[in-house]
Amino acid sequence: MSGVPELLVLRFLSAREMYGYQLAHAIRETTREAISLGEGVLYPALHAMESRGFLRARRRTVSGRTRVYYTITPRGQRRLNELSQEWRRIAGGVESVLAGT
Amino acid sequence: MPGGHFAGLSERLRRAGISPRRVRRLISELEAHFEDLVTELRLTGLSHAESESQAAIRLGTEDVLAASIIARPELRSWARRWPWLAFAVLPLLSLAVQFILSMAAAVAIFGFSVHTLEMTPLHPGPVPWICEALQAYALWVAPMVAAAGACYFAARYRASALWPVVGSILIAFLGAHTNASFQWSPALPKGAISAGIGFRFPDIGAAIGFRVLLTLVVILAPFLWARRREGDLRW
Repeated sequence: MSGVPELLVLRFLSAREMYGYQLAHAIRETTREAISLGEGVLYPALHAMESRGFLRARRRTVSGRTRVYYTITPRGQRRLNELSQEWRRIAGGVESVLAGT
Repeated sequence: MPGGHFAGLSERLRRAGISPRRVRRLISELEAHFEDLVTELRLTGLSHAESESQAAIRLGTEDVLAASIIARPELRSWARRWPWLAFAVLPLLSLAVQFILSMAAAVAIFGFSVHTLEMTPLHPGPVPWICEALQAYALWVAPMVAAAGACYFAARYRASALWPVVGSILIAFLGAHTNASFQWSPALPKGAISAGIGFRFPDIGAAIGFRVLLTLVVILAPFLWARRREGDLRW
């Protein structure tokens, strides 16, 4: 499962700009809670991806509350493509094994 | 989540080498997330206390949050990765920069006063006072500013005391060995400003010893005392 949180975060942020709570909510809803990330643990992952140049962060004040919104960078998009290919390869392999048993 | 919970997390992260700026941002994001969770849970009919309790579980305990942040070396501040550079070398360089800039300012002010304002040793205006003030800054104040900077940033970054102490001692010795003088009299109408650094080991004069002690007593002693009082004096 290594790399899955990174893949999910990059995938959601490639669709639109989000802040941490929105992202955690989207992961929970879309995966029907099949993938459960500690919501607070999302932030170090976001900061690490930002420091590696995969994400860009900016502060925005909406309805009087300041949020940090994250968006994917071109480098992050390339990373997403790599991770997606890797995941499809692994998932395909596991699927083949399951189909054969 | 109670503010005290995040205050504890904030201190743990700073002591672990996460930069104060990043800690501030992480804490503000966690606080906002916690508030959003409480609002979401309240809408399901839970009481405020129950919502807070559930939100804290979903967000993660302080131990889990701290471990997940500290485990990422890329989130550590550069000052904690290279403390010798941040708290010893750079403050020492700042002493040299302050010394050079204050001497350059004295030369520029003197030159402007003599060549443009046509001041003379008999009608010097405030020029001697300004040049002597700049000289005093370079010799007495600059070492204290440089050492104070090293100690302030080390305390802010919760760094060990080793490198700010080494930096302050080097600054105190180097600063005490700098010299500068300003002369402008009818006998010396073009004026003379001299500056330099001189080592006369082992013949350390009393004046030099006093200058070393001044920086160490005024800056280093309060720094060590404050760190010890806060229970954060680590080497």
